[in-house]
Amino acid sequence: MRNDKAKVASDIAAQKKANTLTQHFQYPPGTAAFEGLANCRSCQLLSDVNVGNCPRCNDTLYLRSPNSIQRTLALIITAILLYIPANIYPIMNTVLFNDKTASTIVGGVVLFVESGSYFIAAVIFAASVLIPIAKMLIILWLCYATSRQSHLSRPELSRLYRATEFIGKWSMIDIFVVAILVALVHITGIMVVEPGTAAQAFAGVVILTMIAAHQFDARLIWDKQKNNE
Amino acid sequence: METQSKIACHDCDCLIMLPEMQINQTLVCPSCSSKQFTTYNRPLDYSISYGLSSLILLVMANSFPFLSFDVQGQIRTITLIQASNDLFIQDFVFLAVLVYIFVLLLPMAYLSLLLILLIPIKFGLKSFFAVSIGRLIGYFRPWIMAEVFIVGVLIALIKVIDLADIIVGFSFWAYIGFAILFTLTANISNRHQLWYWIDRAKR
Repeated sequence: MRNDKAKVASDIAAQKKANTLTQHFQYPPGTAAFEGLANCRSCQLLSDVNVGNCPRCNDTLYLRSPNSIQRTLALIITAILLYIPANIYPIMNTVLFNDKTASTIVGGVVLFVESGSYFIAAVIFAASVLIPIAKMLIILWLCYATSRQSHLSRPELSRLYRATEFIGKWSMIDIFVVAILVALVHITGIMVVEPGTAAQAFAGVVILTMIAAHQFDARLIWDKQKNNE
Repeated sequence: METQSKIACHDCDCLIMLPEMQINQTLVCPSCSSKQFTTYNRPLDYSISYGLSSLILLVMANSFPFLSFDVQGQIRTITLIQASNDLFIQDFVFLAVLVYIFVLLLPMAYLSLLLILLIPIKFGLKSFFAVSIGRLIGYFRPWIMAEVFIVGVLIALIKVIDLADIIVGFSFWAYIGFAILFTLTANISNRHQLWYWIDRAKR
C-alpha cells in the first residue's frame, strides 16, 4: 500500500519534470522561458525554473503565473457584478436643513454639467464611469485575445495592458472625494454629507479590477505564435 | 556574488543583456518597448534624503489642521485622519479602512521600511531582514495612492467652494510635498536598484 503510494508520487514527480523539460519549447525563441529561465515575480532575478524557489528572495518560481487567466476572469466577473449596485444606489446623501438629497455617480456628473463646470464633469466622468468600464472590457478582451486570433497586433495589446495597469488606481478619486466631503461638510443642522452604499460597492470595483490587472500575466500575449500578425 | 548580466522583460519575457548604462538613462525592452528601469545619480544618497524628508512631511501632515470649512461664522476644521475616521463613525468600516491604508498607513510603512533597509547599507553595516523588507516594499508600491488622494481633495474643494469659505491648512501643503518626494523616492529606489542593494547587504 505504502509502496504504491510512493510509486504514484514518484511517477507524478517524473511526469512533472518531463513536462517542465518539454514545456520550454512551447515558448517563442528569445524569451527567458524558452531557455528554461524563470523571471522571479518579486525581485526579477533570472534562475532555472527547476530550482523551485528564487535563490535571492525565496519566492516560488514560475515560467508563467499559474491559472492567470482563470483568476483574472473570476475577479473581473465579480467586479462587473459589483458595478451594478455602485451605479444604482446613491454614492452620498447631502442633508441641507433637514432636506435630504441622494446623488448617484452619474447624478454627480450631471450636476456639474448643469452648473457649467464641464472640465470637472469630464474628470469625474472619466474617473468613475469611463475608466472602470473601459478597464473591465479591456481585461476581458485581453483574456479572450490570449487564446484566440485577435485583430490587434501583440505590441498594441501589450500597450493596452500597460495603460490599464497604470490607470487603475485613478478610479479611487471618487471614493476620496466622498471621504473628504463627509469629514469636511459636517455642520449639524445646516449642512451634512453622509456616505452612501454605492461608495462601498465602487471601492470594491476599483480594488477588484486592480487585483485582476495584477493577476493577468502580460507575457501570455507574447506567447502566441507569430502567424496572426 | 557576481552582478546580473541579463534580465527578462516583465511584460514579454524577452531576454535582455544588460548594457553599460550612464546616469539618467532608461532601459527599454527592445521587443515590447516597455520601460525596465532608469539609472539615477547617487541613488543611495538621494533615496535616503528624499525618503527621510518625505516621512517627516507625512508626520507633519498628520499633526496640523488639513482643511477648514466656514459657513456664516460656523467653522469646521478637520485633520487628515478625519477623512477616514468620520467614515468609521458613520459605520462605513470597509471604506474607512481602505482610505486609511491607501493614504496614510502604506506610505508610512513603505518609507519606514525603506529607510530601515537603506541606512545600514549606506554606512556599510549589516541590514536585518533585508530580503523580507524588499519583498514587502514590492507588494506595497502599487497600493499607495497619495497622488490620487490629492486630486480627490481638489475635486471635493471645487464641489463645496460655492457653499462656504475654505481655509487650506498647513497639513494640506505638507501632504502635497510628501506626495512629490515620495514619488521621487520610489522612482529612484526602483525594483532593480533595490535588489542590487539587497544583494550588496547580504554579502
